Amino acid sequence: MRSISIALAVARKDLASEWRTREVVPALAQFVVLALVIANFGFQFDSRNAAAIAPGVLWMALVFAGLVAFGRAFAAEREQASLEAMLMTPATPAAIFTGKALAAGLLLVICEAVLLPALALFFAVPLTFDEVSAVLLATVGMAVLGCLFAAMVARVRARELLLPLLTLPLWIPFVVVGGQAVQSAMSDGSTTNSANGLLLDLDILFVVLTSLAARFVLDD
Amino acid sequence: MLLAASFIFLFAPTDALQGPVQRIFYLHVSAAIAAYGCFAVVLIGGVVYLWKETLAADRLARAAALVGLVFTTVTLVMGMIWAKPIWGTFWTWDARLTSTLVLWIIYAGYLMVRRLAEPGRQSARFAAVVGIFGFIDVPVVHFSVTWWRTQHPGPVVLNDALPPQMLVAFLITMACTLVLAAVMIAIRYRIEVLTDQATEKVVAPIVAQTRAGDAR
Repeated sequence: MRSISIALAVARKDLASEWRTREVVPALAQFVVLALVIANFGFQFDSRNAAAIAPGVLWMALVFAGLVAFGRAFAAEREQASLEAMLMTPATPAAIFTGKALAAGLLLVICEAVLLPALALFFAVPLTFDEVSAVLLATVGMAVLGCLFAAMVARVRARELLLPLLTLPLWIPFVVVGGQAVQSAMSDGSTTNSANGLLLDLDILFVVLTSLAARFVLDD
Repeated sequence: MLLAASFIFLFAPTDALQGPVQRIFYLHVSAAIAAYGCFAVVLIGGVVYLWKETLAADRLARAAALVGLVFTTVTLVMGMIWAKPIWGTFWTWDARLTSTLVLWIIYAGYLMVRRLAEPGRQSARFAAVVGIFGFIDVPVVHFSVTWWRTQHPGPVVLNDALPPQMLVAFLITMACTLVLAAVMIAIRYRIEVLTDQATEKVVAPIVAQTRAGDAR
């Protein structure tokens, strides 16, 4: 119970500082729209191939926006060395980590709230419930993994290089399963309950694993 | 390895459909199994290090990761050479090929963490975490041929699909490859021990000096 309230407090702190500075979200929103513009030129997009291309564009934009979002998750803590102070409190590292992941994940959800409608608008593909649920479920797992490695690379040289290298391979399961779900949702609107179930399983697996590993990554 | 080579080229019969190129099979599969084994050592070493903080476990993981990466490379390259005449292409985005490539990237990342993190406790801890998460891909690679419909053939050894002579050649190659992997890990482990000692001897006085300078 205490851990949950600590996690919520950490998340609230991060979101409040984001609200005051308004650094990450506007930049991410512009970034995903730019990604759509680039995709338009890269793919020779027209109305016939939209349903085939749009899912790929969605995941490419989402994955790279995620890398940017999670890369920033520990930036403030690093610059002000406040993570050490947080770890000195009786709060468990797992609770602090959960709070950070929650906040960074929410920022990515806000970015998705721009990306998905923009994709539907510019690429003329349907925006269905299945698509949204698959993306949101993938975000959970991506957030915990992204934050774990972001916490790790925050203390390492060449962190911008290392974060994608560590994170992307472990995000691939989410892109595989979520990609299929979005593809079928965009092409024929068929239900993808099995894909969402699998995403949920992956989420549970990685939430448990990362909260176990958080102690070793944060507490130095 | 010479023993294995003699069995591969002299004892085992030539495949009726694929011809001599099928002889790649013995080393290709053995190298893959050796790579699994190495990454299992990385996993166990990582868990033990996080649990007990024994330096030996970390050195073992360090040694096994490099050797595992080498064997994954052998598997991939051998597979590509085999795929060109049989499938007509070096590479196809099949589940097993893709997941093996991902495996290679994960452990290349593992070695990058080792290099970029602060040497000592930090690099050992971070690498252990990466090694534990990275191991998730090993069962994915292994079962990829069962879970998805792949161009890559399914398991032939466990399914008793090999003629006895081929099976003998394969088992001998596998035994030799595993011994080779173990020897390579042992040598690499020795190098890690020496590196650690050298680092302590050379770096520790410098660090102590700088610290003293900072304190003043």
